[in-house]
Amino acid sequence: MTERKALLLVGSPRGIDRSSSGRLGGRLLDALKERGFETDKLHVHAVVRSPTETERALIAIESAGVVILSLPLYVDSFPAPVIALLERIAERRTGAGRVRFLLLIQCGFPEREQNATALAIAERFAAEVGWEWLGGLAFGAMENHGGSATEVLPRIAAAIADGKPIPEVALKRVMPAWFYRLGGNIMWRRQAKKNGVTRRLRAKPYAD
Amino acid sequence: MSYDLDTMNALVLDGFRGVEGQSILAVLTNALAQSGYGTEVVALRDKTIAPCLGCFGCWIKTPGECVIDDEGRSVARAAARCDLLVYFTPVTFGGVSSELKKAVDRLIPNISPFFARVQGETHHQKRYPHCPSLIGLGILPQPNREAEAIFKTLVEHNALNFRSARTAAAVVALDGTSDVAAIARGLIEAVAR
Repeated sequence: MTERKALLLVGSPRGIDRSSSGRLGGRLLDALKERGFETDKLHVHAVVRSPTETERALIAIESAGVVILSLPLYVDSFPAPVIALLERIAERRTGAGRVRFLLLIQCGFPEREQNATALAIAERFAAEVGWEWLGGLAFGAMENHGGSATEVLPRIAAAIADGKPIPEVALKRVMPAWFYRLGGNIMWRRQAKKNGVTRRLRAKPYAD
Repeated sequence: MSYDLDTMNALVLDGFRGVEGQSILAVLTNALAQSGYGTEVVALRDKTIAPCLGCFGCWIKTPGECVIDDEGRSVARAAARCDLLVYFTPVTFGGVSSELKKAVDRLIPNISPFFARVQGETHHQKRYPHCPSLIGLGILPQPNREAEAIFKTLVEHNALNFRSARTAAAVVALDGTSDVAAIARGLIEAVAR
């Protein structure tokens, strides 16, 4: 019955409940639960801090039919602790030949295409470890909120539950990139002002 | 970590968990020396570098410096001051190893939070007028075109994000089919000023 077990790995340093990755993955997990899946969640950063927790996670992965990795894009790839866990999985080929693998990834830039390298790494990981690559859902900045995700995640859950290919989804652009850059730059100034560091925003502490 | 300001300085981030890549690393550092670089190698496996918290504190609380006071800061400082940053890593699913990535994730204080349009995409503005060039030298047990292509794309994109002056990447296979010295020389020549 392992194929009806779904495990969410949250790869954000902010944890399961306080991160967009956790909330987004949680919504997919809820949709799978409604379709009769047994579900569980793990926070990758907590898992890799302790060998005991890593062992527990590997056992959970071994018994899962579906693994969903939900994370923020970090410098074109995954946060370091996520790569560390994937390395442990690959060493043992945990879940080889059985796990179906899906990636949910969110980029801090408005162009979701910037997730492409990370998606390729995830697919390569799946090939090397012997997991079935279901595909990835890549979001640009702020695209994970409301509309598109609400519409898309239940369709993905349905495809996973029915053993069908993950449907191609067309996410709606939230805003033009130039507008995001403008708004983002205003936001950085506001946050710096709140912290009393406006004048130091362009500081160069490591200049010669 | 201090650099001689009269010579070109290279910072090699060694992302191997053990010492298995050392013979190739020696070829690389030798090629750097022959090209006039003063080279510092940081064995990241020996460094205590906590994972990036994703808090943006390095942009809006302590601009230019990570809020975590560990060896991640000294690596970021060295990376900001060098002329050439080198990723030396086992190619891991086409990407870099977790040992290397723990340091790379902590380099974001070296760029500005402010957004800019770079080659048609959104990236960050430079924090420092001088950004080091970036070389990626990945190691694979045997040739693998797919992993190699992903690795090269990753390094190229990292260079865009870090606003690197120039960039080049290559993959060496441990099966004896790679001319390591020629590859190392080629990478250094590709980013030569």
